[in-house]
Amino acid sequence: MADDDRRTDGREGRDVEVPLRLYKTVTVFSTLIAVFAVVFGFLLLDAAALGTGLLRQLARSILGALSLSPSDSLLSALFAVAGLLSIALGAAVYVLGTRFKAAEMSAGDD
Amino acid sequence: MSLKEKDEHDHLGWMEEKQLSPIEKGYLFTLIWLDKRFRVVDYLELLETMYYRVNLQMPKSHTEQYNLDNKFWYWYPLYALGSFSTLAYVVAALSGALLGFYYTPSAAAAETGTVAYSQIAMIMQDLQFGFMLRSIHRWSAQVMTAAVFLHMLRVYFTGAYKEPRELNWLLGIVLISLTMGFGYTGYLLPWDQLAYWAGQIGVEMALSIPVIGEWVAQLVFGGFSLGAPTLQRMYILHVFLLPFVVTSLIAIHIAIVWMQGIAEPH
Ligand code: HEM
Repeated sequence: MADDDRRTDGREGRDVEVPLRLYKTVTVFSTLIAVFAVVFGFLLLDAAALGTGLLRQLARSILGALSLSPSDSLLSALFAVAGLLSIALGAAVYVLGTRFKAAEMSAGDD
Repeated sequence: MSLKEKDEHDHLGWMEEKQLSPIEKGYLFTLIWLDKRFRVVDYLELLETMYYRVNLQMPKSHTEQYNLDNKFWYWYPLYALGSFSTLAYVVAALSGALLGFYYTPSAAAAETGTVAYSQIAMIMQDLQFGFMLRSIHRWSAQVMTAAVFLHMLRVYFTGAYKEPRELNWLLGIVLISLTMGFGYTGYLLPWDQLAYWAGQIGVEMALSIPVIGEWVAQLVFGGFSLGAPTLQRMYILHVFLLPFVVTSLIAIHIAIVWMQGIAEPH
């Protein structure tokens, strides 16, 4: 990475200067995606913990249509892993978004 | 105003000349792709423009005229507390209406404890989203109490209770009392140990009032000791009487603010 992409304020991490319009795109969509991914992740965790949830019934009926019937504990484990992944994805999308700064922002940085 | 694309920037061309890692490239590419299709940013910018245009039409406030913003700006978020109280009230009303589908105000014996208590247990343990529903109701109730109290402090410390707003201050005192009434009557509804002994305290407080104490205890608690009539009265107060009265008073309270205009700092 080019040197001018390093932060000047001594904090770790990379700063990328982008046009203002692109900065807005990044902020709006990364936040939206992060929110949805994290909430969805918690729904999946809920489905993992709760034997009777709607999401779980849905997954069961879809798998049933493919003539699969996994055990309850396998299903729970899958839901838990998927939930954690979704939350991690949301966090990653958000964190990645924070490195993009509009021109006016990275100059002073507070 | 139209949503015609301005096309002022060539995003992809820009990306080529900048040194970006493959992840960053993919990231930006995906978000730009989404933005081109859903155009949320364009709509937000439109709202922003409209906000400023409407704002320019407004007459200058006292605060702007005498340039008080620089001294006063940190109070402004606290002006939202009245609306925040209203919002919490609406959330409590909606979640409460849903809880009403499942709760029974009966002190009759059930398999474990009373019917009222076992219904609460059913909501918490068996009902889909029941735990969440009751939590939303309790949290919104407590948030409302806190918000109303902080709103009162904001009104006091900005001097907004002064002439000609004395009536709204008095109405506010009635409202905060009724808000606490909501809290108390609701607290008794589960009819568990906490509820029962809180009720006992209530009866004794009523009885301690000189001259009219026994009458008040009869009226509010349905007797001198707790029982089925107590629970039934608390229920009717909580889901019938208070909602009507508080909703009307909030409407009047806000109507008065609307007519008098918000108090400006001096
Ligand atoms: C259920 C409880 C209450 C609700 C929903 C409520 C709602 C509101 C709202 C939406 C406003 C507009 C301004 C703002 O939000 O700050 C307002 C203003 C006002 N409130 Fe309340 N309020 C409540 C309780 C109280 C209490 C406890 C008091 C004081 C004892 C009070 C006194 C006033 C006064 C004097 C104003 C006019 C302030 C001004 O013009 O700047 N209110 N109220």
